[in-house]
Amino acid sequence: MKDILRFFSSVKLAIVLLIIITCASILGTFIPQQRSAAEYAVRYGQLAGLFTRLQLTNLYHSWWFNGLLFFFALNIIICTLKRLSPKFKRAFQPTLRFETKTINSLKIKEKFKKNWNLARTKEELERELSARHYRIKEEDKENRSSFLARKKMLGLFGSDVVHLGLLIILAGGIISGLGGFRKDLILFEGESLPVPQADFQVRLDKFETEFYPDGRVKDWKSTLTVIENETALFSRIVEVNYPLSYQGYVFYQYSYGWDWKNPSLEIWVKKRSDPSFLRKLEFKVGQRVSLEGEDMQLMAHHFLPDLVINDKNEITTRSNEPNNPAAFIEGWQGEQIVISGWIFAKFPDFARIHSEKEMDLIFELRDFNSNQFSVIQAAKDPGVNFIWVGSGFLMLGLALAFYWPAREIKVILEESHGKTEVTAGGIASKNRDAFQTEFKTMMNSLRRSK
Amino acid sequence: MSESTLFLITFIFYILAAFFYFSFFFAKKENLAKTGFRTAFMGLIIHTAALILRTIESGHAPFTNMYESLSFLAWSAILAYVIIEGKFRIRKAGPYFMLIVIALMALASSPLMPKEANPLVPALQSYWLWLHVSVTLLGEAFFAVAFITSIMYLAADSREKKGKTKKSGISSEKLDSISYRCIAIGFPLFTLGGLIFGMIWAYYAWGSYWSWDPKEVWSLITWFVFALYLHTRIVMGWKGRRSAAVSILGFLAALFTYFGVNYLLVGLHSYA
Repeated sequence: MKDILRFFSSVKLAIVLLIIITCASILGTFIPQQRSAAEYAVRYGQLAGLFTRLQLTNLYHSWWFNGLLFFFALNIIICTLKRLSPKFKRAFQPTLRFETKTINSLKIKEKFKKNWNLARTKEELERELSARHYRIKEEDKENRSSFLARKKMLGLFGSDVVHLGLLIILAGGIISGLGGFRKDLILFEGESLPVPQADFQVRLDKFETEFYPDGRVKDWKSTLTVIENETALFSRIVEVNYPLSYQGYVFYQYSYGWDWKNPSLEIWVKKRSDPSFLRKLEFKVGQRVSLEGEDMQLMAHHFLPDLVINDKNEITTRSNEPNNPAAFIEGWQGEQIVISGWIFAKFPDFARIHSEKEMDLIFELRDFNSNQFSVIQAAKDPGVNFIWVGSGFLMLGLALAFYWPAREIKVILEESHGKTEVTAGGIASKNRDAFQTEFKTMMNSLRRSK
Repeated sequence: MSESTLFLITFIFYILAAFFYFSFFFAKKENLAKTGFRTAFMGLIIHTAALILRTIESGHAPFTNMYESLSFLAWSAILAYVIIEGKFRIRKAGPYFMLIVIALMALASSPLMPKEANPLVPALQSYWLWLHVSVTLLGEAFFAVAFITSIMYLAADSREKKGKTKKSGISSEKLDSISYRCIAIGFPLFTLGGLIFGMIWAYYAWGSYWSWDPKEVWSLITWFVFALYLHTRIVMGWKGRRSAAVSILGFLAALFTYFGVNYLLVGLHSYA
């Protein structure tokens, strides 16, 4: 047990662990994380299996990476605790039991004789020190006084506060990982869904996309109503960067989309031979409608919002955005399909219609409408407050460590034959140059004062 | 006057400042360094005006694409240099430092960087954009100064080891301590802006404070390297060459976080 403690109390171990964690993190940025097995097979060939087994493809959630983090946390705890008690002693139980020898061994020191008696030298020294906000402790003996003057002693604990902050952040991460969950709620306007593990519902009243004058997307906004026991409590607009918080849940504007399975289409039918011929048809995908004046029924078999031909020569959709909307239509005569093919909303001349006979009809996909839905992510993250508290400690600790440097001055005054010998030395944990300047100025002014 | 004109004038001032600093470097006349500093300072003022004008013209923070962000980084770098120069008198670092700034400005003005101010995509419409990016880049600017002083340390150290000392040079010991002081400023800024503000914004915009996105991971890596710098130095007493090497590595990690991640890795941070 003792050996384990000693092992984990070493700063060298901390440094080694930090280097290993850094290298592992770098590796994780060059191997794309959490992709499909097929993608890894294409990318790494035979190595793919090995990578997956070593969890390099889900590195930051792997047992070994989290194990490293665990040992690192343990290391921080033990290192910090081990160094804490001497620091506490130094800060809160200072001792005046030191000799001129101790002072002489310090790096920053001064020694000189003053033509004053002890009492007057003491008074002047106290004045100098308190003018610079040092808190003074003294011990008087006959012909001899010891002084301990200190300030900003909390600065000693800067690194400990940083470590505490980091541990709280790590704890927050664990709590988020274990107790947090997120679920995408796919909501059409007017629809409401129960929030998982909660006793309230959210209803989407309205979803809208705002655009800039140049056509770029400005914002996505969902108006949500929180419903509890079938009573609407309140409504709020949720947009990107401005989620809704309620009862420990946060609702984000996460995504949006269209229900392309069942859109309604507007198709215009024209005739090459007869410019005055125009039939406007409106119907849903899968519905069969008669074409007035022709012996034909028209049906849209399916619809793709963003038609593309992939590298396997298959017709598919690239995305769910209506970038290249296309409908596959069929013309029926009785129970026989006589024509079939793709028509495109953005490229009317590009229609590809196959037919048995010479074709006089032209089909144009004029409009399409489908229900739009908003994806609201409901998230519960019980670790997040730990993160903010930990971050606060982290910054406080950094401020203390870098900009609140602890300073200590030890002075011994010894009187003999009406003169006083001053032996003074100082310790600063950080920013020694500035401390040295302060120390020298004080000593010089004491030496020269008349 | 338009923002692009002001940007051009700024660029000219920085080139002039570099010219004076290099003349100082070769002719060893103190006055030339002073002129260099004043020219760089004038450049900083015009640059500030350019950034303000950009903000007014575009209606959003002046760091939403690569051109703007490079220009802002150059501005932060000059600001950091002016602060450090004012405190520690490191004229000798001037010529090298101006080279970095000119490289940033040249990259910003290259035709590869689209200059037009686009309206903000929804994810960037937040005041955290101001806080997160500006504080992070300012922190990185101090890492850049530390990078230069660390390189100068290595040069000065090998010169001193050979027994050569220049009368006008800064001692290697002082360079080592300046590097530390720069990191002591840069590290808290980077922690606050890059990591903490980043987590807060990610929480509001993406729904999760940490997603192991490559840019997040690389910020953490940068933070780890500077944490290594501080621990090896303060606890293990590393100084000099090894310390300088860690500080250089840290800046390279910050540089990769800034550039490399955008061009080599794919993730949530791809806005430019």
